[in-house]
Amino acid sequence: MLAPLSLIKDYVKITLSEANLAERLTEVGLGVENIKKKEGGSILDLEVTPNRPDWLSIVGVAREIASLENEKLKLPKVKELKKPTKILPLKIKTDYAINPRFTGIIITGVKVGESPDWLKKRLDQIGMRSINNIVDITNFVMYELGNPLHAFDYDKIEGHEMTVGQSLEGELFESVDGISYHLPKGAVVIRDSRKIIDLCGIKGGKNSGTYNDTKTVFIRVPVELPNLIRSTSTKLGLRSDASSIFEKAVDAGVTIFTLKRCVDLILEIAGGEIASDLYDLKAKEFLPWSVKVNLEKIKRYLGFTILDKDVIDILQRLNLQPVIKGGVLETKIPTYRNDLKIDEDIIEEVARLYGYNKIERKLPSGEIPVSRIDYFKDYSLQLKAKEILIAAGFSEIKSYSLVSEVDLDKFGLVGKNVLRVDNPVSREFEYLRPGLKIGLIKGLMENKKFRNDISLFELGKVYRKIDRKAVEEYFLSGISSNLSFAQIKGVLQKLFREFGIKKDPSSMIEIIDNGLFFEINFSEIEEKANTQKIYKSIPKYPPVIEDLSIKVSERVKTEDIIETIKNQNSIIYSVTLIDEFEDSKTFHIIYQDKEKNLTKEEVAVIHEKIVKSLKEKFGATQN
Amino acid sequence: MEDELINIKTTALSFIWEAEDKKSLEETKLQFLGRSGKLTLAMKELPKLPIERRTEVGRLANEIKITIENALEQKQLDLTSEKTSKIKQSIDVTAPGIEPKIGHMHPISQVLHETIEIFKSLGFQVADGPEIETDHYNFEVLNIPKDHPSRDTQQTLFLDTTDTLYSPGEMLLRTQTSNMQGRIMEKTKPPFRVLVPGKVFRYEEVDASHGFEFWQVEGFMVDKNLSMSNLFATLDYFFKQFFGRDTKVKFVCHNFPFVEPGAEAYISCVVCKGKARLPDGQGCSFCKRTGWVEILGAGMIHPNVLRAVGINPDIWSGFAFGTGLSRMATLKFGMDDLRLLTNPDLRILEQF
Repeated sequence: MLAPLSLIKDYVKITLSEANLAERLTEVGLGVENIKKKEGGSILDLEVTPNRPDWLSIVGVAREIASLENEKLKLPKVKELKKPTKILPLKIKTDYAINPRFTGIIITGVKVGESPDWLKKRLDQIGMRSINNIVDITNFVMYELGNPLHAFDYDKIEGHEMTVGQSLEGELFESVDGISYHLPKGAVVIRDSRKIIDLCGIKGGKNSGTYNDTKTVFIRVPVELPNLIRSTSTKLGLRSDASSIFEKAVDAGVTIFTLKRCVDLILEIAGGEIASDLYDLKAKEFLPWSVKVNLEKIKRYLGFTILDKDVIDILQRLNLQPVIKGGVLETKIPTYRNDLKIDEDIIEEVARLYGYNKIERKLPSGEIPVSRIDYFKDYSLQLKAKEILIAAGFSEIKSYSLVSEVDLDKFGLVGKNVLRVDNPVSREFEYLRPGLKIGLIKGLMENKKFRNDISLFELGKVYRKIDRKAVEEYFLSGISSNLSFAQIKGVLQKLFREFGIKKDPSSMIEIIDNGLFFEINFSEIEEKANTQKIYKSIPKYPPVIEDLSIKVSERVKTEDIIETIKNQNSIIYSVTLIDEFEDSKTFHIIYQDKEKNLTKEEVAVIHEKIVKSLKEKFGATQN
Repeated sequence: MEDELINIKTTALSFIWEAEDKKSLEETKLQFLGRSGKLTLAMKELPKLPIERRTEVGRLANEIKITIENALEQKQLDLTSEKTSKIKQSIDVTAPGIEPKIGHMHPISQVLHETIEIFKSLGFQVADGPEIETDHYNFEVLNIPKDHPSRDTQQTLFLDTTDTLYSPGEMLLRTQTSNMQGRIMEKTKPPFRVLVPGKVFRYEEVDASHGFEFWQVEGFMVDKNLSMSNLFATLDYFFKQFFGRDTKVKFVCHNFPFVEPGAEAYISCVVCKGKARLPDGQGCSFCKRTGWVEILGAGMIHPNVLRAVGINPDIWSGFAFGTGLSRMATLKFGMDDLRLLTNPDLRILEQF
């Protein structure tokens, strides 16, 4: 919403400086995103939240400033409607269930033409194109007061009848700007005796608009239902200034005032005379409503004891007519404040005008709840896994969960279990990744341009369709161009050991074109993890350490040799491979007896047993 | 005998003197003090001496032994320090150190784990939940019915429901971590303090400050008598811990359908430290010369939300807040483009 300061000043006196005004407006919820300097003065670029359609008008903005400045709002003066000297026929039928209020009037003898300079200039300031004086006036009045209105060419309303109803699926409608739409079922429309002439609350019809040959106009100021307008405008992908007000609820109480303002301007600028009685078809009177709030609740919500007189002062500035009766505050909500319905809404009014930053900040004082919440997750496990990989030289990446079909195909991940987005932002981001490989390989290739030592990992969710349900799991994957199989296996062994899990990682490592890749279902790890560490006393007696070198066929698996050595005696505390070259391997063996000092002789016996069993099993000879 | 002993002493001392390394020193020690060393052997002869001379020669032998031992010890020390200084001379201490090859934690993770730590200190428990969500939890339960205008600000990606238990339009990618409010609150009895980090998705064009995928963190707390004062203090505490004690935090009114009253938080600009100007006098473009950057949405949980999850708003009140972890990361590290966070270039990652 663009609001020229020069224009706002016609409606309210401003004493604050531009910068202070911008800050105060932002603080009370009308965000000033920018102040544009243009010839003719500064223009406020405002962020209007959906709850405050009244701020989509200059009077609405001026009203907010008036409450900040404690000034009076100066509404435009309107004249009483003159009794018509002649009455043109027009039959209106409406349905209050879809059109709660329909206010209108006929003006005849207008001279359609260019708008006067002052009007053109104002429209230009707010980024609107001048069309002709009648259209410009309706646009300006909407912008000024916040109620959208539309001018029909009376002579094009066939049969001089208007019926508000709902469209059938696929009915054709051509908007005033010449675009044709197939209407969805249920759009609110006005029909004359033959055709649809208006897509209510969104766009007028081309067949009944105001052009240079128009002599008589019918001005309609309606109240439309937000959900109906929004649903049609979403389905058509068609938004207008009017629809963005109606979908958030318009001020239902001022249709006649708006009409009078429009009539005044038309008579002044385009001439003519009123040629009908005032139409005002409505389901009920639209009057201010009452909202009550307990004063004690205001204080409890704010977290400090605000004085009653301050509450009253604030609410008076906002025209909410506050009255206190026995601890309860009663307000009367003006019809332009459709957002005020419950006591919390009133509390916000008090708080925002009081100033959020004047509220003293006190941390919650209650006891800290200790019972476990639902969906609890211990993120320290993820942190631990990341730290292990980082210590091993891997850097963490974060890649998109959404991937393309081309990539899935390239990495052999296409399958029935892959989830697809119906309305992707582009084909590049159409599928949810079933694994982390794509991002990591891309990361590797990206870095290959600059270096050769690349080790990357990602810990993130993967998504799959399992048993007709969407399943999300955390995976931990890595890729390396420089680490060996044994190094990566070692990292994973270490990881599993830290998580108290017995698992052989060999099958999780895959040899790929430019290095090695691994993938672990981390959700499973998290589920089984046991990171508790319990102290075991260290041995009281010294160990005996020896290195055993053997020659053995390269086909014999190291793991089998280690197992065989360990199986020879329970005092063999650990066996590690420390060197290997072609068919010779050296193992580091630690003998440890918990009960006593080991003698050379005892060890020698076990040593012989080891050598013998390795020879028998694998044909190994000692070096 | 005495002559022989004195001869041993002289030879031993000259050997010790001349020893160039520990090995030859060790040999010298063995040669004189070892089991069959010269001094040891000579001392074995002592009992053969006449009784009246034994004491005197014995004392001399002992003195010589102590002298040799001391000389050995002294030489040992000299050799060690000589070696150290020799090594020192051969090292170019001005050459750069060799850093261990450890990797780097992604900025999002750093921000995530730090945020968790801070809120844990305030008694919050951390939760995790689905990114593939229903309209109910992503919108309806949060007081955002279908056709609510605020849905415009959260354009949604819908999943193809072929071969699933869901009907079209029922499976979507959550647009906000607030989806966990309903899921957790309907099952957990108040009071509680909850923090939910996670990825969210929007149908949005990608540019420097928008993406279709980014990370958020949501927090909410329900207890008796919670107030806006408590909410503001909690966030003030968090931002000061996270961005530094000098950080200023201010709140403005804002509307989100699932809170009332609603607020937005701003922190003093991390680049110009809230001065709106850079040290060179130029205006700070990071905060558009305002000195403030918008960072978070918050408010008191709307009674409709509490009711929808079966919590009586007459007894309990709560507050909720949500912010972009991605944004926190870019602010913390002075990054000017959200897309840097999904770039795997190690030249970026190694900076963190």
